[in-house]
Amino acid sequence: MSIQFKSIVELRAMLDKKSISTPELTQESLRLAKKYKELNCFVTMNEEMGPKKASAIELDKKTTSLISGIPLAQKDLFSTEGLRTTCSSKILENFIPPYTATAVEKLEDAGSITIGKTNMDEFAMGSSNETSYFGNVHNPWKKGYVPGGSSGGSAAAVAAGIVPAATGTDTGGSIRQPAAHCGITGLKPTYGRISRWGMIAFASSLDQAGPLARTAEDCAILLNEMAGHDLKDTTSLDVKVPDYRENIEKPINQLKIGIIKEFNLSELDSEVQSRFQDSKDLYEKLGAEFVEVSLPNISASVPTYYSIAPAECSSNLSRFDGVRFGHRAENTEDLNDLYIKSRSEGFGDEVKRRILIGTYALSAGYYDAYYKKAQQVRRLIKNDFDNVFETVDLLMTPTSPNTAFAFGSKGAQNPVELYLEDLFTISSNLAGLPAISIPHGQINSLPVGLQLIGNFLREDQLLNAAHVFQENSDFHLMQPTMENFL
Amino acid sequence: MIWETVIGLETHVQLSTKTKLFSRASTAFGESPNTNVNLIDCGLPGVLPSVNKEAFYKAIRFGMAVDAQINQTSIFDRKNYFYADLPKGYQITQMDLPIVLGGSIEIAIDNSVKTINITRAHLEEDAGKSIHDQFDGYSAIDLNRAGTPLLEIVSEPEISNAKEAVAYMKVMHQLVTYLDVSDGNMAQGSLRCDANVSIRKKGDSELGTRTEIKNINSFKFIEKAINYEIKRQIKILENGKKVVQETRLYDSAKDETRPMRSKEFANDYRYFPEPDLLPVVISNQEMQDIKDNFPELPKDKEARYEKDFKLSSYDSRILASSKSMADFFEDAAKKTKNFSLLSNWMIGEISAFLNKEAIEINESQLIPNNIAMLINRIDDQTISGKIGKSIFEEMCSTGESPDQIIESQGLRQLSDDGEIEKLIDAVIEDHSKQVAAYLDGKEKLFGFFVGQVMKLTEGKANPETVNKILKEKLKK
Amino acid sequence: MDQETVRTICYLARLEIDHKKSEKIQKDLETIIELIGSLQSTDTTNVEPLYSPLEMTALKHEDVEKSDNKKEKFLENAAASNEDYFLVPRVVE
Repeated sequence: MSIQFKSIVELRAMLDKKSISTPELTQESLRLAKKYKELNCFVTMNEEMGPKKASAIELDKKTTSLISGIPLAQKDLFSTEGLRTTCSSKILENFIPPYTATAVEKLEDAGSITIGKTNMDEFAMGSSNETSYFGNVHNPWKKGYVPGGSSGGSAAAVAAGIVPAATGTDTGGSIRQPAAHCGITGLKPTYGRISRWGMIAFASSLDQAGPLARTAEDCAILLNEMAGHDLKDTTSLDVKVPDYRENIEKPINQLKIGIIKEFNLSELDSEVQSRFQDSKDLYEKLGAEFVEVSLPNISASVPTYYSIAPAECSSNLSRFDGVRFGHRAENTEDLNDLYIKSRSEGFGDEVKRRILIGTYALSAGYYDAYYKKAQQVRRLIKNDFDNVFETVDLLMTPTSPNTAFAFGSKGAQNPVELYLEDLFTISSNLAGLPAISIPHGQINSLPVGLQLIGNFLREDQLLNAAHVFQENSDFHLMQPTMENFL
Repeated sequence: MIWETVIGLETHVQLSTKTKLFSRASTAFGESPNTNVNLIDCGLPGVLPSVNKEAFYKAIRFGMAVDAQINQTSIFDRKNYFYADLPKGYQITQMDLPIVLGGSIEIAIDNSVKTINITRAHLEEDAGKSIHDQFDGYSAIDLNRAGTPLLEIVSEPEISNAKEAVAYMKVMHQLVTYLDVSDGNMAQGSLRCDANVSIRKKGDSELGTRTEIKNINSFKFIEKAINYEIKRQIKILENGKKVVQETRLYDSAKDETRPMRSKEFANDYRYFPEPDLLPVVISNQEMQDIKDNFPELPKDKEARYEKDFKLSSYDSRILASSKSMADFFEDAAKKTKNFSLLSNWMIGEISAFLNKEAIEINESQLIPNNIAMLINRIDDQTISGKIGKSIFEEMCSTGESPDQIIESQGLRQLSDDGEIEKLIDAVIEDHSKQVAAYLDGKEKLFGFFVGQVMKLTEGKANPETVNKILKEKLKK
Repeated sequence: MDQETVRTICYLARLEIDHKKSEKIQKDLETIIELIGSLQSTDTTNVEPLYSPLEMTALKHEDVEKSDNKKEKFLENAAASNEDYFLVPRVVE
């Protein structure tokens, strides 16, 4: 029985009905990964430990968790004990971590099977999965087109139906934007909702883990397992994890949704606007009320982000020095030479650019003008959101100003071109707020995403609104033909 | 030309917490390399720090003892630079908002007291250790020390010469050991000193260019290093040249400072607030708990010794000046009642021995019970004070107890009147000429007879008994 | 952005830029700096910087040992090590 394109809920039913066994399910998933290896969405397959665990679960009759036996893909930014973790970088090409990230451990403890580590933009820096040391990931909807980034591999694996769901990380939109480009659902929770222990740091005050899946309901299922306080991450929230699936079907009449004035949607591509309008109409039909709101500082989001994120990453990536792990250059004269050569050989261009910008923004004489200034504007942006959430429940925007584009067609001449693609997603990372992207149409056979931004710790509202939308539409049920990948 | 020296000291105090500042790895000294290293200390990708509250409590105790301002909300920052024993490529320290601000201590110099103000004290993590000469062509990195909590105490540049610097460091040492903030062991690196030294013309208000002498790890070297540096800088200035601002190391073998290998670019540490750690807040309740459990400071101990042990203020001050001595004294005082004899021995014989060996009492073979026993044996006349001294020497080298030594060497004092009388009779008989001379008026010969009795008894005769009986016998 | 500045920040970051790419990288950096420099026009008088989106204070843990040391695995991951130490080219201080 085919498992391709099935959701967690559907696979759970199959397992419970015994129409498929756990080991069979794992094998099927691995087989699909092999079949579509041209997508290049996996860096490492878990061909040994995965099936072993599946067999163990099969023997252990008492399964209590929804995701027990469900195959998942893990973004290669999460540390996995004994399983190579590369962050899609040459500098970690052979790194085998001695421990597992909390977010992944929780999923694995609940019985899920990690079938492999997914390809990504190097160290999560990118919006198109074109900076990976292991090569580009293809968008399952169109060969030679980007899946979005940085969680491109995870999004592609889910969109291609190889796994029902995957983990991703989102620092400026890296879960939501690839979800949008690949026609699936991706959730970035509130900052601190999921532990960052073991999640290899890019920008510490912006990074957050989250699920990518075929439905909002599946995202809720994964969030239930991933979320929670972790003593090993003192920036994780000590707040009880509700059952995100519990009230997901609640009707949404009287839900107040804000449209952000400053985003000037009328300047977007007409098709993107058109899809947006259709979704607005649908929500209104379902009972929601729309109102225009103002976030006066939101246009400063991109420059703010590109001061803060590179600064934090320039420091976070200093540990990659060739001394204790990772790539070390040969024939170096002294310690400094070892650092310079190992890092220069090991990092790709985008990573280098960001480290240099970050170093510059923090350096003496520039700190106040760039880094500190950006953190001040960040507060203004957060204040704007706090104000607006006094009057609305959610905010709605397109996830991305454009659909997926061809390899190499953006950003090659000017990196800022790619940075501006993050326009709609970036501000929620700055404010630490949760946001979700759901598919809401296609333009020239490429998926378009709709973004909902919620208030602090209101993932429940986001998932509810997303789920109700999905109950009344079928964009999330669309599947790529995959004919070009055989 | 009259030159004036300006010195500021940065003291790095390794805190005596059981675990590290940001991880729960042990801080125990001397473990096998790279075993006291948790995932966090290794700087592996994906790890995150968390804060050890005891480190804060110790820092606060220090701050309270020097009357400083305690910042109940303080922040950690990253100091970014590359070095082999710095696993993350940055050190987590406190820059803008340290835990302790201000404060002062007093040093005693030539019968007067000078106040040295403290600028600030902050918490930071220590780096690992590099060993450069053990493996051919390689430096070896041991991360056991990486992450150990340090309290960096910065003094105002108010110290005027090497002697004052040593006095300051000694006060620091006393304070941190008394407060149970650190074991203060300079040889093991628990207390390290960086000296900033500059010279200016007397009367000048501007400071001269300063050099930093790093990681001096004994009081003796502090004095030598600073004195060398002062001479060196004065010589440069007298020749009309300029002092180069640089970091230098003290070479104890050559008794000179030399520059550390110069770096091509000055280091820009790019401090910014640590994004993996939120601001640390110490509650009013925690502050009160620290105050309520404050350890006894030297001044209070001195007063208590005068009262409870009836010691002079001079003796009390000496005993209380070192925590390890004071602790030893108090332990021994539990097992003996002759406090003044105990005190005399500690200030006299024992201190002389420790100074000669240049060790602390807790680094020696001596234990309080044994010293108490020695005092008791002298007190109850089992042995004479003189024999006591030789027993003490034996105790210092073997660590045996006085009773063990007395038994094995048969040192029990001879106090039996009958036995002594017999020996005295023998001496008198054998030295009739001297006896005649003594009776004739040469009273000094009394000591000669005592000496002869001692010789016969190998020094074990009870001197008082000898004197008493000899006097009687010679009267006739 | 002058050559000297680029050299300095490259050294601080321990990175060297391929000679062939250095012009492009410099241009890229200038473009990005222009982008982030646009923040100058936003008025931030009396605004406190927001270093973390959480209005929270740090959790402090007890001073009790809990080791997760895996000495062999740590040393194994290093490009050069022996059974006790990480090894790097000899440093002269």
